[in-house]
Amino acid sequence: MSFLAPLFAIGLAALAIPILVHLVHKERKDTTPFPSLMFLLRTPYQHSRRQRIRDWLLFLTRALVFLLLVAAFARPVFERPPEAAAAAAGGGREVVILLDRSFSMRIADRWAKAQAAARQALDALGPADKATVVLFADQARVVREEGATTRAIVRAAIDSAAPGDAATRYAPALLLARRSVAESKLPNREVIVISDFQRSGWDVGEDARLPAGTTVTPVDVAAASVQDRAVRAVELRRSMADGRERITVTARVSNVGPAARGIEARLEVAGRVVATSKLDLAADAGGVVTFESLAVPESPQQAAIRITPDGVPRDDALHFVLERAPSIPLLLVEGVTAGADPDIYLQRALEIGDKPSFDVTTRRFSQLAAADLAGKRLVILDNTPWPAGDLGRRLEAFVRGGGGLLVVAGDAVSASTWPGRGSGVLPVVPGEVKDRLSDKGAVLGYIDRSHPALSLFGSAQSGDLSSARFYRYRTIQADSGVLARFDDGSVAVVEQRTGTGRTLLLASSFDGLWNDLPRQPVFLPFVHQLAQYASGYRAGRSVYEVGDAVDLLGVGPATDSSRARGIAYVAVSPLGNRLRIGGTQGEPALIPSEAGIYEVRPAGSPGARPRLVAVNIPARELDLARFDPTRLTHSVSAADNAPAGAGAGPAEASLAEREQKQSMWWYLLLLAATLLVVESMLAYRLSKGRVTAG
Amino acid sequence: MLARIDDLELVARFVVEGFISGLHRSPHLGFSTDFAEHRPYMPGDDTRHMDWRLYARTDRLYLKEYEADTNANFLAILDVSASMGYGTSGLTKLQYAKYLAACLAYFSHRQRDRVGFVSVDSDIVDFVPPSAKHLNQVLHALDRAEPRGRGSLAMPLLKVSESQHRKSILLILSDLYEPAEKVRDALGPLRDAGHDLVVMHLLDPAELNFTFDAAGTFEDLESGERIPVVPGRLRTRYTELIRDHVTAIGKLLGEGRVDYLMVDTSKPVDEILFQYLLRRERMQSVR
Repeated sequence: MSFLAPLFAIGLAALAIPILVHLVHKERKDTTPFPSLMFLLRTPYQHSRRQRIRDWLLFLTRALVFLLLVAAFARPVFERPPEAAAAAAGGGREVVILLDRSFSMRIADRWAKAQAAARQALDALGPADKATVVLFADQARVVREEGATTRAIVRAAIDSAAPGDAATRYAPALLLARRSVAESKLPNREVIVISDFQRSGWDVGEDARLPAGTTVTPVDVAAASVQDRAVRAVELRRSMADGRERITVTARVSNVGPAARGIEARLEVAGRVVATSKLDLAADAGGVVTFESLAVPESPQQAAIRITPDGVPRDDALHFVLERAPSIPLLLVEGVTAGADPDIYLQRALEIGDKPSFDVTTRRFSQLAAADLAGKRLVILDNTPWPAGDLGRRLEAFVRGGGGLLVVAGDAVSASTWPGRGSGVLPVVPGEVKDRLSDKGAVLGYIDRSHPALSLFGSAQSGDLSSARFYRYRTIQADSGVLARFDDGSVAVVEQRTGTGRTLLLASSFDGLWNDLPRQPVFLPFVHQLAQYASGYRAGRSVYEVGDAVDLLGVGPATDSSRARGIAYVAVSPLGNRLRIGGTQGEPALIPSEAGIYEVRPAGSPGARPRLVAVNIPARELDLARFDPTRLTHSVSAADNAPAGAGAGPAEASLAEREQKQSMWWYLLLLAATLLVVESMLAYRLSKGRVTAG
Repeated sequence: MLARIDDLELVARFVVEGFISGLHRSPHLGFSTDFAEHRPYMPGDDTRHMDWRLYARTDRLYLKEYEADTNANFLAILDVSASMGYGTSGLTKLQYAKYLAACLAYFSHRQRDRVGFVSVDSDIVDFVPPSAKHLNQVLHALDRAEPRGRGSLAMPLLKVSESQHRKSILLILSDLYEPAEKVRDALGPLRDAGHDLVVMHLLDPAELNFTFDAAGTFEDLESGERIPVVPGRLRTRYTELIRDHVTAIGKLLGEGRVDYLMVDTSKPVDEILFQYLLRRERMQSVR
């Protein structure tokens, strides 16, 4: 039995009233005059505090009245055990067991307790019951039981499951539970959540309400106190020394539990310890350890920071890849009609580049050769015609093959110098030059700040592109692929995809004559953004977390036979598992499930140099703060507006049944009223008896 | 109540003027009109009482002796201690005692006794010497008597004994909240002086039966002392003690030939008076 309004139990304090009435207030406060205490003083001393309660029957009646009133207002509800309820209902139960197997379940004996709770829930099933086990971390997987004969399969799935390295997310598991419950035709539904209830795994904004009438039973397996040290993050600071790139590694270590002194931290590169350091950690605090700088190896190397192992060794190491800073190799082709140094602004802007840097090769248009395209990811044609002949075809192939092309349309770019729109590489043919000098120049009237190339300028105080004045530009009319327009509607920046590559066309120049853009603060980021986007550059990460989608571009193409089999990449996990990554839809990506270093190679090329992907325990999973399981229960149970699907009948019945379960208060009040009448009669009789005796 | 007192006065008058002429006989043999006996002449006797007729017949000298039935002293001694101000049945013990004293003083006056009055607490408070003309003063003193102070009979009764040289009828009205031995000792000087002592022990029914119910603080009217009391727990013991006290006083005073009467103030005053008068008559006949 439980109570809907247990706060009314405070009213039990009112029981003091009859006790006081029958004890303390029996003594009159006014004194009774008496001729002489001569004989009273000779009797044994008797004080009201020493006396017992008189009129026990009356007292018990009054106390019972108070008890009944308090119980009635507390709204008692009789809940039968699920098994009994199911038996009484004459139907089976649909039981969904959500078993948390996130990384935090490795701590102490949480997993053993979770397995035991899951087995216990299975053992409690009746012959008419049906169970669904959902193993979840950041994703959820269903192990369904179709009948009692396969119950062993479910049990085996629980026995064989183990906690992984992924973070906790309750929403996917609850969504699966909702589907299972909604599809069930059984009259009783129950969802058992077995977890350590990490706060980071529960987002109240996620709609994971369960159908009405579903009972949610949380099983908390978290230990009372936790002790864990973990390497939480790494920071790589690059510097140049003696012409070589060096890197300084700094790691942040957290400590949950008592203070720890002399913790050893080791920096390992390619499996060798290259530096060690000691650090002291205060109780429930963190610390930072910085290693001496080291030279960046020529090729990417796996690296890790390890601290002295504790009870949960998986988070005592943080993996990362030590490699050179990313760089975009590009070819800058200077115009033919420009002045002495028409690309000075562009060159300076590209030299400043960092994260990534730009490896710029400059060629005059007249000196351009096909070999210059080798190894480049971007070609910038700064006010040049379309190369004729074989060079033009090579450039077209470069673009179609995934290369980037940025065309700066100055006075040398026209329909005559770009026949056939440069074999179709150019989005549109630039029109006539428009001179806006008379009206102090044009400004950018429309900027697509949602476009990846210009999204940098979308946030507040991130640069005002409309501050630049364009005195001359070529008029371009286009309906699609427009990134920016001048204030007269003419296109300023337009994009076209050709094959797997892309072309960006700017309708004005970078020489500082047709506009004052190079003298604006936004020039540098504007150029960097256009170059990065056109080259298809994506900022790589040296560190990933379990569950992240790892972009595998740059790993290399798979062999034709492998591609025919739908396999693009082959990855070897930290535990040695081989993963075949492919798919016909979209770009294949690696979604790591283990912490450590993944080696990814193109399919069919086992001897190729692998791309190293460092994967770690998600940082939010290392935050061991917990939340009250009843919050989860209340959030997912309050589904009175959610459709119950096939179980609408049982849900309605549940409402009526719920009301019936709460009707006990009415009988309690009736009994209390009856007792009050009895109390009045008793009190009258006792009072009358005393008067008569007096 | 007063009407009944008037009736009682008529009855008393009838008694006095009728057959109970000796409502209380004079303790002294005098030379009044009622012949009592002859006794031989002793040298020094007044020759005026010589029975010459008998001398003529017998040639022996005898004196005539007569019984005197009047001119006795009646002194009402009223305890006015604070405890006498208690009462639960309409009258306080002091008021009850006033009526008794007034009635008996009136009766005594009607049979030509000298009446006096003394009010006492732990000392003498008011004093009206016995006189045949002091009935009004006695009634006036009775009227102004108020409960006051702590009571103790020893000292005032000693003073009374020293001031009353004539043998008198002393009516003592008190609640006697003293040990029986002390009461006996207090009466000792009066008894030794030959006074006729009548003690009326006045008690309220609440004192006799302790009919209280609610626990509370009880306050001594004389000392002001307070104690918490649970009546239900000690009623039995208390009633035993008070009855033992009454019995002990009655026994001790009886041994000292003191006329003792326990008066329940819930009973009518005339009933007590009748009881008293009848008792006195029986005693008279015994004498």
